[in-house]
Amino acid sequence: MLYVVLFFLIFSLYLYVLLGGADYGAGIVELFSSEENQKITKKTIYRVMGPVWEANHIWIIILIVILWIAFPGYYNILVVYLHIPITIVLLGVTLRGVAFVFRHYDAIIDNSQKLYDAMFKVSSFITPIFLGMVFGGLISGNIIIEDDVTNLSFYEAFLKPWLNVFSLLIGLFFAALCAFLSSVLLIGEADSGKEQIYIRKSAIATIVVFITGLVTFIYGYATGKEFVMSFIQDPFSVIAVILSALLLAPLWITIKRGNKVWSRFFAGLQVFLILLAALISHFPNILITKTSSVSLLEGVAPQSVIQSLGVALLVGGLIILPGLFHLLKSFKMIKILERD
Amino acid sequence: MENLDAARLQMAFTLIFHIVFACIGMVMPFFMVVSHYKWLKTRDQIYLTLTKSWQKGVAIFFVTGAVSGTALSFELGLLWPEFMKHAGPIIGMPFSLEGAAFFVEAIALGFYLYGWGKLPERFHWFTGVIIGLSGVASGILVVAANGWMNSPTGFDYIDGEFLNIDPIKAMLNPAWFTQALHMTLAAFTATGFAVAGIHAYQVYKKRKVALHTKAFKIAITFGAVAAILQPISGDISAKDIAKRQPVKLAAMEAHYHTEKGADLYIGGIVNPDTQEVNYKIALPGMLSFLAFGDIDAEVKGLNDFPEDEIPNVPMVHYAFQIMVGIGSVLLLAGVLYFVSLKKKKWFENNKYWLLFAILAPMGFIALEAGWIVTEVGRQPWIIHKIMRTKDAVTPMPGIVFSFYTYVVVYLTLSVAVTWLMLRQIKVLNQSK
Repeated sequence: MLYVVLFFLIFSLYLYVLLGGADYGAGIVELFSSEENQKITKKTIYRVMGPVWEANHIWIIILIVILWIAFPGYYNILVVYLHIPITIVLLGVTLRGVAFVFRHYDAIIDNSQKLYDAMFKVSSFITPIFLGMVFGGLISGNIIIEDDVTNLSFYEAFLKPWLNVFSLLIGLFFAALCAFLSSVLLIGEADSGKEQIYIRKSAIATIVVFITGLVTFIYGYATGKEFVMSFIQDPFSVIAVILSALLLAPLWITIKRGNKVWSRFFAGLQVFLILLAALISHFPNILITKTSSVSLLEGVAPQSVIQSLGVALLVGGLIILPGLFHLLKSFKMIKILERD
Repeated sequence: MENLDAARLQMAFTLIFHIVFACIGMVMPFFMVVSHYKWLKTRDQIYLTLTKSWQKGVAIFFVTGAVSGTALSFELGLLWPEFMKHAGPIIGMPFSLEGAAFFVEAIALGFYLYGWGKLPERFHWFTGVIIGLSGVASGILVVAANGWMNSPTGFDYIDGEFLNIDPIKAMLNPAWFTQALHMTLAAFTATGFAVAGIHAYQVYKKRKVALHTKAFKIAITFGAVAAILQPISGDISAKDIAKRQPVKLAAMEAHYHTEKGADLYIGGIVNPDTQEVNYKIALPGMLSFLAFGDIDAEVKGLNDFPEDEIPNVPMVHYAFQIMVGIGSVLLLAGVLYFVSLKKKKWFENNKYWLLFAILAPMGFIALEAGWIVTEVGRQPWIIHKIMRTKDAVTPMPGIVFSFYTYVVVYLTLSVAVTWLMLRQIKVLNQSK
């Protein structure tokens, strides 16, 4: 049953990165668009994300609930030492969600739209950066685990783990990845004649992903980050990254041919490979502290808990996944939904 | 401000908001589907307008409820890491099921909001029903976790370790049923009266009387039925607390001295120093009767509990009085509504509408007061008799800043949501 739980943990992480990521990315694409394109993007985002965006963000709740139920020891370190960036992420999620609803459900359309738009775009950009920084905090090797944290300065205990160049680079990389996912998704949803906007956006996003990824690696390598070192020595990680890069070729071909199902599939697969590469060289030690690695399985919940959680996840999955699939399928073709 | 106080305030503050959003998001879908049903039956355009207007309300409150709920699911760990480390695995069951129910709700909402004219009519309507049912299921499941904090079961506590964990038994803790029943009825009462009150005010102002009267009737029916049933649930809860958490009962009643045939105090000013309640109305023997069903039963007073296990008595007592007081008023108002169905003339009297408009916020005040009774009344424990709140708080200093940030953000949000609702009503009144 532990494997079932682990599967759902990774599965929800992946879906959150993919769906939530595309969702954040939509705001980022809108942020970095000309005024005219912003209007087009806003409409397209609403059409594409409207029915599903809330569901997209539930994955992070599932993720966190699995973490605290099954891996309380690991979860405890996360919430104590990375309290601040997680709080910032939460504020970002809140403002973003509210702004999205406000701008589409406000009964009167006036200047307040500008405020909603600004809130939506900026929080869409900031939130994934801090999400990436949380992950960066986990792997940057700056967390010092102490039974009594009062032995440490505030900076050492609660800031340094995530407030560093390496984590910031990972944050930027993740934001770029979101923009990449979203622009590929938006190509297939744009009104005819407008696809070109998003094809250009995906090209730019691809380049930014590549550059931020490369800089992160060079910086990590130069400063001797354990995460980067073991990454490049692990054949699976390296193969996964190379495969992900090679997939760019079929991705571009499918985009050129206007095959939106396959282009989305390749983009999703690329992100999957990147995530796999990031996790596999250490798994299950997803936390690197100053002195050692901490396994996800450290302080794992007792068997009875894992057992019941596994059953709950399987049953829940059986109900939810078909429903979700149906939802995504039902509304894929909708092009006319506007304010009623 | 001490870290512990700041953390408690932040938790209380975010919960106070979340509960309002969550209750409306949970109950309003029922109003919406009733109106939708009437539209399908009668094809009266008013019901369609109303359904679409309520659906926007549902969407806005669902999202604010969902994001504040996401924040809360993290805050549990961020503010109370020691608690979650031990309690997380034990009470995870209802949380994971709640996650599933919530997911179903989000999917159904997606279908409902975007399904007009695209889904078969009946199926579309049915997705609305699913929104309501899964919302209520979420609420009931979350209360299971709170019930566990009041009546921890499903583990053996040996030398500070939680052993032999049984998540199912923890979920089915003794407080769950009484709390969930009380909370579900409270959610229907509060939302019913709030929504009805808003529409009553529109009728009072003579705006779109036909539409708002129909809206009022749908909402108040739910609210009134729930308000009339609530005392039964309250009685079950009181008897349950008398057995399980006698100190909470004593604090609710500001009952300091153990005695047989204890009086029930209504109102009054608590003086914790002299241990007296001044200016109260005392009903002889009624506390014993309500707690144990016997006017001569002995009710343990606060003095017979260890001093470091007693909650803030005045706060719990006042909150309890407010809850019961408002509950009684709403009960009478509920009866008044059903009488008014026979006496149609009342509907033409503007005072009738003013009355219900004034009652609009009352249900929520009572509901918040009720949660203060439960939560403050459990202190100093986070897990009753197992873990103290002060031992659960995060070691990170400076929570007070996080508290202030939340205050600013949430207050801004509530102003914004209120403003948005006013705009919805304005547009509704201008519609054809």
